[in-house]
Amino acid sequence: MKWRQIGWWICFIILGVWVQSLAPGLDALVVGVLILLQEDDYRDMLWLLPLFILLQEGMGSRPFGSVVVWYAATVVMFKIGRWLFDTRNFLFMFLLSASLGSVYFFVDWLMAPLQNLNFNVEDALDKSLVQALFIPFAWRGIQALRKGRDREDDES
Amino acid sequence: MTFRRALLLGGLALIFFLALYSWNSRTGALDDLATNVGLEVSAQILGPLRYAKDGLGNFWNRYWDLVGVREENIRLKKRAEELEARLVAMREDLAELKRLRALAQFPVDARWRPLAARVLAGRLGPGAVMDTITISRGYTNGARPGVPLVTNLGLVGRVLRSSARAATALLITDPGSRIAVYGQESRAPGILKGQGTGKPMEVDFVQRDAPMNEGEILVTSGLDDKYPKGLPVARIERVAPSDYTQFMAIEAAPLVDFKRLEEVLLLEKSGVELPPEDPEEPAALFGPPIPARILKAREQRAAQPAAQGAESAPAPSPAPRTAPARPSVRRDSPSGQSAPRYRVIVP
Repeated sequence: MKWRQIGWWICFIILGVWVQSLAPGLDALVVGVLILLQEDDYRDMLWLLPLFILLQEGMGSRPFGSVVVWYAATVVMFKIGRWLFDTRNFLFMFLLSASLGSVYFFVDWLMAPLQNLNFNVEDALDKSLVQALFIPFAWRGIQALRKGRDREDDES
Repeated sequence: MTFRRALLLGGLALIFFLALYSWNSRTGALDDLATNVGLEVSAQILGPLRYAKDGLGNFWNRYWDLVGVREENIRLKKRAEELEARLVAMREDLAELKRLRALAQFPVDARWRPLAARVLAGRLGPGAVMDTITISRGYTNGARPGVPLVTNLGLVGRVLRSSARAATALLITDPGSRIAVYGQESRAPGILKGQGTGKPMEVDFVQRDAPMNEGEILVTSGLDDKYPKGLPVARIERVAPSDYTQFMAIEAAPLVDFKRLEEVLLLEKSGVELPPEDPEEPAALFGPPIPARILKAREQRAAQPAAQGAESAPAPSPAPRTAPARPSVRRDSPSGQSAPRYRVIVP
């Protein structure tokens, strides 16, 4: 069971990196963080979150730190949303992704002067929009996969 | 969790993050770790995926080509069909071979060793804010930070950060990119600056009297010590006097099409130093030409002791008041002939 879980996450990472190579600036792994938060799977989060951070920081071109802020903001936004909505609802995920799109823009804007980088408003807006549109549909797809996997587990 | 506890936890997390951030800014340890893990893992994932994608693409193309060949050449013999199919299958290899041959013909001297690398991906992940590409070479096989990247068309950029077997390269179009260039014909120096993907590049600090023209190719000057001298970089698209500065406002377009970049050449320093060129003659100082009367007097003075020497012992004549021997400067005339060399005369 445990190995199956690890295998699932490895496949998720491979798929995520591949999707990221198709869309510049997109964070496909953030959906994994949302899934972990939804399932309250803090044990897996303990190794997956640092791995996601290292992967994203390594793949990117800016100094270490911005992805930490981005994932921290994701966790905080999810926790706030949880007080108000049912987290398995598509509407909740839609609202959350819209807020995360804004957070994505904010993190870019915040970290650019700190890291002595150029801040391109148009580019950041495009990326935020793509990120906001990507999250709910990717989450829906992965939810469907997870449900299928859980059903197989229950039957076995 | 109470509100106070959440606040306390948030504050502690913030302090921890700031400490981590400051420590990393000083040491770069986390940057190195992230580069080695993130870049390496992504390259290990993307490399096989890229090969698989190429393989599938080839298979698909071959399938469609085969169908086309069968429809068009239904009356041909079986042997001819097989040969045709094989030819189609080899087309991609041939195209790749052509590209690699063109790359290999890039003219660099012995100080630079060209190494081919495959482009694995463009910008990857939320941290990729710069114009970058990921390539299939790392610091163990030639892609150390700072190494220039070229294609047969011109300069691509330079390696920004690298792990063991993969690297991220900064493209010349990135707004943080600055390259010291010359106009290929005008030889006017300037600094080429990126403005972002799809936007024209800018050439800064070109004097107003510089004879730069539209269509002129910009080549690296080598003055920044980052790129070899003479690499073609961009083509000038617009030249006009700047409204705001005392320099020219010049726009240029990169020579390389970054959207269709599949292979690049890395120019690694080979460690070979070229022998110095033959030293020129010592340079002469500029000065006024020697007046004719002084030359005449000097000739007379030289002829006098010779004539007197036949009659009596020569009297010691005072030495001419010329400057001590100095290195001379040579200047070529505009017509290409050497200008007459002069010596400084002390009156």
